[in-house]
Amino acid sequence: MKQPEVRSQKSEESQPMLRCEGLNKCFDGTRALRDVRLAFPSSGIVAIIGPNGAGKTTLLNVLTGFLRPDTGRFFLGEWELTRVAPHRIARLGIARTFQDLRLITLVPVLENVMLARPNQMGERLWHALFRFGLAAQEARNREHAIRWLQFVGLDQQAHEPAGELSYGQQKLLTLACCLAAEARILLLDEPVAGVHPNMTEKILGLLRELRGMGKLVVFVEHDMTAVRQVADQVVVMDEGRIIAHGQPKEVLERPEIMEAYVG
Amino acid sequence: MDYVVHILILVATYMVLAMSLDLLAGSTGLLSISHAAFCGLGAYTSALLATCFGVPFFIGLLAGMAVAALISFIVSLPSLRLHDDYFVIATFGFQMILFSIFNNWIGLTRGPLGIPGIPQPILFGWHVSSRLDFLILGAALAGFAYFVVHRIISAPFGRVLHAIREDEVFAKALGKNTLYFKVTAFAVSAALAASAGSLYAHYITYIDPTSFTVIESILIISMVIIGGAGSTWGPLVGAAVLVVLPEALRFVGLPSGVAANLRQIIYGSLLVIMMMFRPCGLVGKYGFSK
Amino acid sequence: MIQLLANGIVAGSAFALVGLGFALVYNTTKFFHFAHGALYTLGAYLALFFWQHLGWPPLPSGLLAVLLTGAVGWLFGRFVFQSLRWRQAGPLICLLASLGTMIALQNLIALLAGEESRTLRRAAVIEGFDLLGARITQVQAVIALVCAGLYAGTWWAISYTRMGRSLRAVANDVDLATVVGVNTDRAILLTFVAGAGLAAVAGILVGCDTDLTPAMGFQALLMGVVAVVCGGLKTIVGAAVGGLFIGIVQSFGVAYMPTQWKDAIVFTVLILFLIFRPLGILGSPLHRAAK
Repeated sequence: MKQPEVRSQKSEESQPMLRCEGLNKCFDGTRALRDVRLAFPSSGIVAIIGPNGAGKTTLLNVLTGFLRPDTGRFFLGEWELTRVAPHRIARLGIARTFQDLRLITLVPVLENVMLARPNQMGERLWHALFRFGLAAQEARNREHAIRWLQFVGLDQQAHEPAGELSYGQQKLLTLACCLAAEARILLLDEPVAGVHPNMTEKILGLLRELRGMGKLVVFVEHDMTAVRQVADQVVVMDEGRIIAHGQPKEVLERPEIMEAYVG
Repeated sequence: MDYVVHILILVATYMVLAMSLDLLAGSTGLLSISHAAFCGLGAYTSALLATCFGVPFFIGLLAGMAVAALISFIVSLPSLRLHDDYFVIATFGFQMILFSIFNNWIGLTRGPLGIPGIPQPILFGWHVSSRLDFLILGAALAGFAYFVVHRIISAPFGRVLHAIREDEVFAKALGKNTLYFKVTAFAVSAALAASAGSLYAHYITYIDPTSFTVIESILIISMVIIGGAGSTWGPLVGAAVLVVLPEALRFVGLPSGVAANLRQIIYGSLLVIMMMFRPCGLVGKYGFSK
Repeated sequence: MIQLLANGIVAGSAFALVGLGFALVYNTTKFFHFAHGALYTLGAYLALFFWQHLGWPPLPSGLLAVLLTGAVGWLFGRFVFQSLRWRQAGPLICLLASLGTMIALQNLIALLAGEESRTLRRAAVIEGFDLLGARITQVQAVIALVCAGLYAGTWWAISYTRMGRSLRAVANDVDLATVVGVNTDRAILLTFVAGAGLAAVAGILVGCDTDLTPAMGFQALLMGVVAVVCGGLKTIVGAAVGGLFIGIVQSFGVAYMPTQWKDAIVFTVLILFLIFRPLGILGSPLHRAAK
């Protein structure tokens, strides 16, 4: 599989790390997050697992700015992101996918990926009206977009409306959008849920490649096999709390974890 | 013949209004019930500058557009920060009070008496006086509006607008500052509406508040929806249909008051019927799904 | 001072009633039912028709007008809204359909009743009586009392009856409500009827104090909508608080500025609220957070 050119990565130590402390969030009386404190590595694959209602998606929403925590803070390196708007957080290189797949369904696959490209001068009113150099930038963005589509294996479908893709292909598309946005940290909400086993393999393979590129992939999942296969670290949540955090071999063998999950 | 040209001029004016509203409602998915108010802002600014200070048409036109764009921020910034639903309410409120200002600030606008004697435009030596002249001017303005709207929609800016319409959360997750896009689209839409107002003022040479009521705003909405929101031809078709068809009522011989009511009953009902059976309008493809 | 306050409370209670009907529909259906304004007008004109044209006594005229308006509200809910909902139409489509209905209905009234202003007042303005230092006419007192009564009644019904619980369930999450067995269709139709009825009452009451014109619906809508936003869009009590607040602010504002500015005052208050206190005096914001 062809890989798009990778920007020169700084050494692992100097990559700003995502971490949070003391996050609390209450909805209508239910505590969705209780005093959540986590530090993510600067790259690798981290899985967040837990029963339904454990607060996994809520955590993702808070870390991407779509929900404001009641108390607590989170940081990317030295920058505090707690009250920052979601689009600003996205521009800092943190991309995400959603449990209910969000895409622009009426528009071709390629358009979705081109939408994701950052720093487009055509998105400013002046440049939309007076298009000096716009065509060249659009062409460059189109090239990048196509290369990311090739990376996930959707280049054949580039001109189909996104709504006509299969469910699994749409998940690949959301991944391509995150990558086109030049994200260094990807927060994926159930990337392989409800997807054909072949596709699951493909997606997990892509996640491994992303790790190889020095990116941090954090994903929420229910599929334990997937977690065992790719995760470097596992975070277990239950009722809004972190109840375990460590290597999958170690964490997933603990009986109390399995009980909390299944019981 | 004169009558036909007059109708065509009105069609051109409404095309500008419909296209500019479509940029907001059709392409971005934000409904505004204040379009007639911004049209009135352009008309009054232009008319006052011309009658009180002798300002030439072109400057008055630009001034009207600038005033409309600036004032649009008062409506859009507080409401869009919160939620699109608040925006609709804010535009409705704005429309109502702007009419109230046009009607009651007698010192400035002469209230219900209106502003008569607006001079015909003189554009770089061309004295626009005959109906045909105005038709050319109207067509030029419509062409300009079409150009601006089309440029915006076909650029990446338009791509983001469509994304906002479909799924704003997705757009935000991709790093787009959706507030900027919505506020800008509204300002452009308001400015274009104001330009139509200026043209109207200098054509009829008399304006009064009754041309810029909430009913007018809803008429413009109807044109966009019935024609087909979010499409290139939709607003144009809608403007043409909703200007020309009611003129047929004129020939049926009804008293003018009754005709006015009947016309509004027709397009009100058309709006309801369209929403129930053909939300994408006559020639559109986008049906406000979701 | 007290006089201004009293005037404000009377006007505000009418705004609150309009706002209440509007908020009821919004909370269960999540769209702005602009036709509410036309129902307000319809109620007033129907009462006028029964009372002055057919010569029936005032109270039955009013009641019949309210019932008929409620029926029209039901018609909209059953034939327009239901079919839109079954097609999964979004709130914008419903708003547009409601807007179209408003225009059509309002002009139908104008066609049948004429554009000139009418009045529900029978005699010349009565002297009125003194209350706590303010002068209130009988009509004003009736307005305030009826509004308060209806408000209390609605609040009680929402909080303590089974139907009220169904309404709250639908307002919270309509899909969840269907799943737990609430007859959501019936609940929603009920809000349309109740909303229409409340609008009609407000229209009749205000019509007793001021003039009727076919366009009065827009005015009412403006006040109702602003009341609901200032009070807090998601709460029922909010419309009451918001309505009274707007009424009082307007009353005091008009004392210091010419009467023509009363709409501008209301809008300025709206904008200030949107800037500084978007939750309204009481309520919680409209939020549809990412799932």
